[in-house]
Amino acid sequence: MSVSITRRELLVGGAAVATGVSASAPFFRPRYRIDRRPRRSRVALLRLEDYTRPMDELLYQGLCLFPLKVQGKTVLLKPNLVDYIPGNAINTHQRLVVASAEAFRRLGARKVVVGEGAGHQRDTQLVLSESSYEQELTLARIPFVDLNRDEVQRRPLDASYTDLDYLWLPRTVLESDFIVSMPKVKAHHWSGVTLSMKNMFGVVPGQKYGWPKNILHWRGIHQSILDICATVPIHFVIADGVMAMEGDGPLNGSPRPLRTVVLADDPVAADATCARLMGFEPDRIPHIRESSRFLGNSSPALIDQAGEVLCRPEVPFQVVPEFQHIRADEKQSLLEGSEAEPASRMDAVTRRCRVG
Amino acid sequence: MALSSQTALEPTVFAMLALGPGARDEYQRALRCLLDCQNPNGSWPGFIGDDTEGAWTTALALIALANHLEEVRSRRQGFRWLLQCAGKESSWLWRWKFRTADRHVRFDSRKFGWPWQPETNSWVVPTAFAILALDHLPASWAVEHSELRLQRGIEMLLDRVCPAGGWNAGNSVVYGRALAPHPDDTAIALLAMKNRSDLSAVRRSLAWLEDNSSSLSAPWSLAWSALALAAHSRCVRRLLSSLAEQVCPIDIGDNATLAVLALALDWERSLPLLAS
Repeated sequence: MSVSITRRELLVGGAAVATGVSASAPFFRPRYRIDRRPRRSRVALLRLEDYTRPMDELLYQGLCLFPLKVQGKTVLLKPNLVDYIPGNAINTHQRLVVASAEAFRRLGARKVVVGEGAGHQRDTQLVLSESSYEQELTLARIPFVDLNRDEVQRRPLDASYTDLDYLWLPRTVLESDFIVSMPKVKAHHWSGVTLSMKNMFGVVPGQKYGWPKNILHWRGIHQSILDICATVPIHFVIADGVMAMEGDGPLNGSPRPLRTVVLADDPVAADATCARLMGFEPDRIPHIRESSRFLGNSSPALIDQAGEVLCRPEVPFQVVPEFQHIRADEKQSLLEGSEAEPASRMDAVTRRCRVG
Repeated sequence: MALSSQTALEPTVFAMLALGPGARDEYQRALRCLLDCQNPNGSWPGFIGDDTEGAWTTALALIALANHLEEVRSRRQGFRWLLQCAGKESSWLWRWKFRTADRHVRFDSRKFGWPWQPETNSWVVPTAFAILALDHLPASWAVEHSELRLQRGIEMLLDRVCPAGGWNAGNSVVYGRALAPHPDDTAIALLAMKNRSDLSAVRRSLAWLEDNSSSLSAPWSLAWSALALAAHSRCVRRLLSSLAEQVCPIDIGDNATLAVLALALDWERSLPLLAS
């Protein structure tokens, strides 16, 4: 059977194909304009039983596992400081923040600043004093910047998941040389988890976007996380998983001890590792999955791990019903493909890093 | 806390109210700044250099201009913008979404107020300030929908009150769990409810604020609490003593807090400026 096509049919068909291609092209084009993935990422898990234990030396030794170049730099520590509810593990613990600041000072940082722009609470001073941050920071002479009311500058976004062209961002954030995201490891009722990348919502200033920063919810939480983290690079992560939170986070969940501080030179690797510690599948969390295309590595095969061995919990963290699907189905070995260094080898790794 | 050198509307307005026209030069400079930065659409920005779409600070600017009857054009444009600005849930499409598919936050989307910025939901603080601003709208101007918007705004605040009294940003119950109120949000909402002390939600919130404000040490929350309790004819002598004893103005890093502190300490003069 022969098929004959007229010139007219060919032209119409060609035009239809061209129209289809041009109309669908934007949906297949990457929404990011940078690729910040390192060849390999490094994560260290540090064991810390509770916040009363000495942690300065532990933090310092942990940071020495990484070839950090912070000498002469301005370091911004961005904790997760949301609100204060007695007994709830809501905020990154203030002692961990102070210990981190001291460690960066020992590593030669010119200036260490703590900054946060709480999402719902307009009275930053109230949260600082009730959570004991104020006393601890004052004692250690660490300045605090309320990012909600800092001077702001307009900054074009390096990704377009929200279709916002730009964000107004605090000058303290834009002028810092080295940004350390210090999340509290928590389940979150809107985004599944709140880890180092979600923690960056706090750099978006309330004086422009309100309390809460509702535009980010309307534009999509995962999309907003991706746009913010593409535009404001996280240079290092110190995640507070000593006392984590499960269930209806970020405010009303239940405390759950993980007894772990997670350090990482890659936010995607940090969040993927924290998710695994919580018993979640990182690739089922949209912003972690998508960020592994351009912001960092989520695959254990690309993560060199130091410190404690990464173990999934027997029972994954509780989550609200909408996020049941992120919980891992069964206990799995997580060491497959990774270069985990058992706890007993940590000292050796530390020594090696110092020599190197 | 570190300072910002960028001119922002919130501290400017509170400073104007705190200083009063008596501080001639500073007041005139702030007034000129306020009038000069009004957006072409009648709104005000959050800070100098901000986008021109408008912000919640429009309500603050209108409160500051309440006694400047000569600024008719500026105020008329401001009120017009304020009345056409509404929480995104005011549109039928989003109302339908919140009533059917997105029900984790308990609220009645038919009761809407004002957002922090256009294209977002209504929240407690911008709604309370818009109500306070509309209280200064001259009756003779007969602006369309003003009564309806005022009524909706009050209904919205009553809808968002926390179960035990008081307000937070605007989410009182999420996933079936009650969230805690915040002293400053509660106080600002109570100022907007100044003439509605008889409502049970207002009485409950006043009781919550009275119980919780005495232990506060943060000047921002303390000052707003004193203003709100005074507006509802509660005795604030102890709170003011606490403010005067605990708070050293030199230690206050931001001008908005400093100005609100001054307003609270001089509440008899400043209350009529805030809540008519």
